[in-house]
Amino acid sequence: MIELSHVTKRFGDEMAVDDVSFKVAKGEFCALVGTSGCGKSTTLRMINRLLEHSEGEILLDGQPIRDFDAVQLRRRIGYVIQSTGLFPHWTVARNIGLVPRLLKWPSTKVHSRVEQLMHLLGLPVGEFAHKFPHQLSGGQAQRVGVARALAADPDILLMDEPFGALDPITREKLQEELRALQSRLHKTIVFVTHDIDEALQLANHLVVMRAGRVVQQGTPLELLHHPADKFVESMLGGVERGLKQAGLTRVADHMLPLSPTLPAQSRVPSSMSLRQALSVMLRDHTERLTVVDPHDMPVGELSMRKLIREPKADQGHDREH
Amino acid sequence: MTVNTRAATQASRSPWQIGIPLVWLLLLWLAVTGMAQLEGFFRLFEPDVRSVIYSRVDFSLLLGRHLFVVAIAALVTITLGLASGIAVTRKKGRDFLPLVSQLASMGQTFPPVAVLALAVPVLGFGTLPIIVALMLYGLLPIVRNTLTGLQEVDVGIKEAARAMGMTSGQILRQVELPMAAPVIMAGIRTSVTINIATAALGATVGASNLGDPIIAGIVNGNTAYVVQGALLIGLLALSVDSTFEQVQRRLKADESPRNK
Repeated sequence: MIELSHVTKRFGDEMAVDDVSFKVAKGEFCALVGTSGCGKSTTLRMINRLLEHSEGEILLDGQPIRDFDAVQLRRRIGYVIQSTGLFPHWTVARNIGLVPRLLKWPSTKVHSRVEQLMHLLGLPVGEFAHKFPHQLSGGQAQRVGVARALAADPDILLMDEPFGALDPITREKLQEELRALQSRLHKTIVFVTHDIDEALQLANHLVVMRAGRVVQQGTPLELLHHPADKFVESMLGGVERGLKQAGLTRVADHMLPLSPTLPAQSRVPSSMSLRQALSVMLRDHTERLTVVDPHDMPVGELSMRKLIREPKADQGHDREH
Repeated sequence: MTVNTRAATQASRSPWQIGIPLVWLLLLWLAVTGMAQLEGFFRLFEPDVRSVIYSRVDFSLLLGRHLFVVAIAALVTITLGLASGIAVTRKKGRDFLPLVSQLASMGQTFPPVAVLALAVPVLGFGTLPIIVALMLYGLLPIVRNTLTGLQEVDVGIKEAARAMGMTSGQILRQVELPMAAPVIMAGIRTSVTINIATAALGATVGASNLGDPIIAGIVNGNTAYVVQGALLIGLLALSVDSTFEQVQRRLKADESPRNK
């Protein structure tokens, strides 16, 4: 568990991070969101002591991080950055095995761990182990970066805009994979991003920052339903908030039993997000959709008219809780 | 330093390229051992003098002494240059960075002849003053390239290294120095090659080396001697320089290697 309480960071007279407090429970995915220069990266870098905090306390499993040796601490915490930071003169396999080697694992164990991680990240060993970073695409390089961060099986993963430099398609794919990875590995993740959609999709706890301070924190739905102020509201997409909200719920949660009338022509899977279903309605000029299960069997229907009459879901179905 | 790395990689593998230093070394050896065979050629320069082949000291001995002076100077400059370049790019030594780079530049703006003139009264005639002059003169390229090489290492890479839990010593040895190696090697190459030529000045202060025939030739008005000294120094410089070039290519090839 990570806990920051009243943490500040000063660079000379400038207050980069001002009285920030938040907790990330074990296995939780926390996103620090904000515009550039809001102090979110600085906050992240204080957790593994790349920067030392000026005031307040940062606790790791209840122990102040200053009690640990900085080098030892960092070997226990995975770190992924936008520019990947892979060593250009080392092969992919050597890059991934860095932390286990620093921890003096026997070489056979390092070797098998590297292969295991390459499988996990979808990097065929035969094809990639001996490649050098400059021979990789952006997405592949970032996979190697994630594999390197996971190599020594740390409980905590810090990610600083890891997908920020990727094209939208690759980014979406890697986000999806990260989510799948997290559901298997249950790491405690702190993820910095300026992309609110990314944060809403991935995190179960959001910390919105502005000018070094925390403006609001909570689950994605809490923020969408009750933005604290105009800033958070505009951050969440202003009038498009409704759609973003729909993006976080599944069709299955709003589905009605099949009506005896003729089923609608357009079909959507029940696992689709409500947002995507609404898009299908607009595209097909229909206000009714047939919901199907993974075997393409109709299981229910979705009606625009009924959706609008649904009570305002204040204590909505939070995906993760 | 602008050589395309991939082209360099391929070049380092062609036997033709690797053979270049060997060709220069062979020519050097031939010139040292067989200078007397060229008497007819040197006669063209000086038809009237009695002796056209410098013979006061054996050429191989002169070559050995020349190499000795350059090697000692190189050893000291490389050690000093690397150490100071590394020291001032560390956190603790950063304050000295401007000072060190200025001192190194001054060393090179100071003409070696002037260094010799100033060093002789203090150190006496012989080999020592020329070694001092070469050290001062050869320091700049090494310091400057060490600084450039280390400073060019991407900040993100250094930060990642730190974030992974590498100690500063590990970062220096495993990340910074290997990445800066091609640039540092280029500095060493420049320094040593320049000093091979500059060392000839030692002959003016009694350090016997390949500069001897040149000085003797100038004093006695014997162009043939001058040409012999210059020829040997030129061949030595080319041999050493092309050897360094191969080493440099090998380093670059290690850094950005081939496709599988």
